[in-house]
Amino acid sequence: MKIRSFLIALSAFILFSVCAVNAQTRTDVYAITNARIVTVSGAAIERGTVVVRDGLIEAVGADARVPSDARVLDGTGLTVYPGFIDALTNLGLQTPQPRPQIGGQPAQQQQPQSNSNYPTGLQPEVLAFEQLKGGDAQFETIRNAGFTTALTVGRDGVFNGQSAVINLAGSSVSEMVVKTPYAVHFTFRTIPGSYPASLLGTFSAFRQMLLDARRLQEMQKTYAENPRGMKRPDADKSLEALFPVLSGAMPVVFNANTEREIVRALDLAKEFKLNGIIAGGQEAWKLAPRLKEQNVAVLLSLNFPKRTASVSPDADPETLETLRFRAETPKGAARLAQAGVRFAFQSGGLTNINDFFANAAKTTENGLPSDAAIRAMTLGTAQILGVDNRLGSIETGKIANLTVVRGDILGKEKTVTHIFVDGRLFEQKERPRTPATTDGTTPAIANIGGNYSITIEIPGQTLPGTLALIQQGAALSGTMSTEMTGTSPIRDGRISSDGFSFSSTISFGGTQLEITVTGKVTGNQISGTIDSPQGAIPFTGTKNP
Amino acid sequence: MKKQIIFFLLVALCLANANLSVLAQSKTEILIRNATILTAAKGTLENSDILIQNGKIARIGKNLNAPANAQIIDASGKFVSPGIIDCHSHSMLDAINEFSFSVTSMTTVKDALNPRDISIYRALAGGVTAGNLLHGSANSIGGLNAVVKFKWGKPVEDFLVSDAPPGIKFALGENPKRTHVQVQPGQTARYPRTRMGVMETIRDAFVRAREYKQSWDDFRAKKTKIQPRTDLELQPLVEILEGKRLVHAHGYRSDEHLNLMMLADEFGFKIATLQHGLEAYKIAPEIAKHGAGVSIFVDSWSYKLEAYDSIPYNAAILWKNGVSVSINSDSDERMRRLNLDAAKVMKYGGVPEEEALKMITLNAARQLGIDKRTGSVEVGKDADLVIWNAHPFSVYSRPEMTLIEGEIFFDRTKDIQRRAELERERQELEKLDVNKPAGGGTTQPRIPSEKRTEDRDEASFQDGGNN
Repeated sequence: MKIRSFLIALSAFILFSVCAVNAQTRTDVYAITNARIVTVSGAAIERGTVVVRDGLIEAVGADARVPSDARVLDGTGLTVYPGFIDALTNLGLQTPQPRPQIGGQPAQQQQPQSNSNYPTGLQPEVLAFEQLKGGDAQFETIRNAGFTTALTVGRDGVFNGQSAVINLAGSSVSEMVVKTPYAVHFTFRTIPGSYPASLLGTFSAFRQMLLDARRLQEMQKTYAENPRGMKRPDADKSLEALFPVLSGAMPVVFNANTEREIVRALDLAKEFKLNGIIAGGQEAWKLAPRLKEQNVAVLLSLNFPKRTASVSPDADPETLETLRFRAETPKGAARLAQAGVRFAFQSGGLTNINDFFANAAKTTENGLPSDAAIRAMTLGTAQILGVDNRLGSIETGKIANLTVVRGDILGKEKTVTHIFVDGRLFEQKERPRTPATTDGTTPAIANIGGNYSITIEIPGQTLPGTLALIQQGAALSGTMSTEMTGTSPIRDGRISSDGFSFSSTISFGGTQLEITVTGKVTGNQISGTIDSPQGAIPFTGTKNP
Repeated sequence: MKKQIIFFLLVALCLANANLSVLAQSKTEILIRNATILTAAKGTLENSDILIQNGKIARIGKNLNAPANAQIIDASGKFVSPGIIDCHSHSMLDAINEFSFSVTSMTTVKDALNPRDISIYRALAGGVTAGNLLHGSANSIGGLNAVVKFKWGKPVEDFLVSDAPPGIKFALGENPKRTHVQVQPGQTARYPRTRMGVMETIRDAFVRAREYKQSWDDFRAKKTKIQPRTDLELQPLVEILEGKRLVHAHGYRSDEHLNLMMLADEFGFKIATLQHGLEAYKIAPEIAKHGAGVSIFVDSWSYKLEAYDSIPYNAAILWKNGVSVSINSDSDERMRRLNLDAAKVMKYGGVPEEEALKMITLNAARQLGIDKRTGSVEVGKDADLVIWNAHPFSVYSRPEMTLIEGEIFFDRTKDIQRRAELERERQELEKLDVNKPAGGGTTQPRIPSEKRTEDRDEASFQDGGNN
């Protein structure tokens, strides 16, 4: 009897405790109090509360009520921003499959059959959505930096495929995706060894596909009205993917950085009345009036050019154009804003994502108002991506994507403390600068020696090459070779737990170029960036067995 | 106080307006005084003036009156020639060859123009004002051309000569058959591999173009209901068949140029120019009969097997047979001294001075169909002019000033003045963090260098190179 009543009492207590805990702090309800709130859609609230419930913003304001079931985060000294958006990335996508090497066995890693009439690289129907993989861990670095959302698309091919707007958390792809497809992405690039093999062919291939798509659409319409006596038009998924592009319903994002690339993109957009968008846009400011007139937005890269090469007695001096280019690029955003051109910031392949905010700050030092800079990574971006009704500002009913910062996001001293993605809280571990190791000894050094077949993504074309890496502890030597630049030895090679780096001097078009290469090896996959005086060029590849 | 401010503003406005009108006029009205004018059409005029209005040559004569706001250029002791026209160039092109197929008439070099190519400015400094920008020679039928004036500093659309007839590049011989390119394992060799194959490829393309034209003709005549496909490859060939597009055909040997003219006769069109034509002298009467022009190197040969059988008398023999001859560079570097190439035809075969000058001016304009507006110093034509310090056929000559449509695009005096300013700008720019070398140290002294590889057609042997 005693035992029984004790048990009842105990169960009652447990039940009560559980209920009480539930009543006090549900795991999907948060209230950030006493924080500075940069709503972006309206004026900043100097001291207020943001309430997050069930993935959405439930309330925001100086006097917003803190619900009794909310977990309260004291935001004294913190600033709450809408979750930052990176306007163009390759996040969440599988590493592109290396192309069969010229001279090697061609059929080692064949692309799956796609039933397209067009070769790999000329397939606008490819969906980033189909290639995405779920899981939170892959986004940890960029999320910790303060981002909650990104536009993502593959980086291979002339057509990179159709992009998706994703939130940077979620165990499944369905949970991550905010909008798909967003746009067809196009790069002035070639398909080596095939058509188009040159920039000239890239244009003619694009034009012919648009013309063929237009005709196919008309024929399908005629056939649907009366199929009798008419040969059945083709079912062509590549051309059909271009129907919404032709109608202007789906934007075409042109990767274009230089003035002339942008002119070419604008000309194409005009020729076919496309809803064009420029991505990269390092020299877009030179065409600001035309961008405004054609109402073309820019996904502006914050990967500003800088001189990476060290002094070499053999190197040609840099051209005045190059020197000016580096000096002028950070001023571009302010000039676009002045001209009334819509733009959003993108990371543009930055090797260190934290440079995103440092470089955004540089645009404000060069005349862009701070609120315009914030807008270009929040609401302004959401508007260009067509998701501003659900993202980009701190307003009741919008998706609870929030970035909480100690300090000003555009200031020098700042720490991202909390990130909410779809209402899920990711607390930032303070200063995760030095990678912790399990036993407290020096970080483990990756084992990366070997020969790699790589593909270098020069704007306008891809260049195959090989990396022969010889590892001795943390030191790296060997050679880098491509058809165009010959073989050059590796200097100052270093390997750490995060990856490797080295310098080299290559001969390109009769000019000696100083390059710095950084990258990492995962399994048999290698990827990284080649920094040259002309800017950063990505490369990927695989280890040769 | 308020009134004073308003008055001040008004004065400022008037001044601004006045400045603007002066600028606008000085741009359109120029008087070149007291020059020796090599007209390339109506002989040489001593101590004569040229009045430029609205970009055109308004008057030519002695002691012309200067309009009130005209800019006066004293050309005493100097020579004026028409702007040089290079009938075969690959300057400004970010891509030259589309190697994938042997017929790439769907491509156009207009898509790949770079208006900031430094070779444009160098061309201006050599007195060149216009060029025929051609697709490379790796294809039996290459891409569409662009006829441009080298308006350095202007947006790319301003370069295009809007009323120039459209053209296309053809190529015969070694380059399109591509036997010099090693076929990589796993790749198949591109057809054709022989001269026979090149001709077959061109013939096949025109047979297809005829059928394509027929399908459109039938549709337009309402014989068929479904609109045919717009084919970017065949459309330009139809324009050739209709006589609306000029064919510029690269080739070396006389047999293959003769072969092409026979094929053109068969299909009922004309070849506008035989490009290079190193053996054209062997078939001069046949070329004259067909009506093709020839655009040559003056004295460059033997750099490959098919280029062996040329002679420096090529131009003179063609000229004596009534063939229109122009001299081209096919090279950013040689483009800057076409005047000396023209001088050579006076030495080899005794071509008269004015006829020699025409080979780099009026004849090239005719071959490109732009002779109504440029190519000679005549009233009513575009003011595309070069002011030389000496006779352009002298090795001591150099352009002092180059004008296109009455606008000065190269001025040697100003260029020299500007160098100090640019040097200062460079020093300022080099102080910036973004421009400092990564490992510290200082930038090396500047050494001028030829950045681009030679574009003459043998450069097209280097697949994937800068051609």
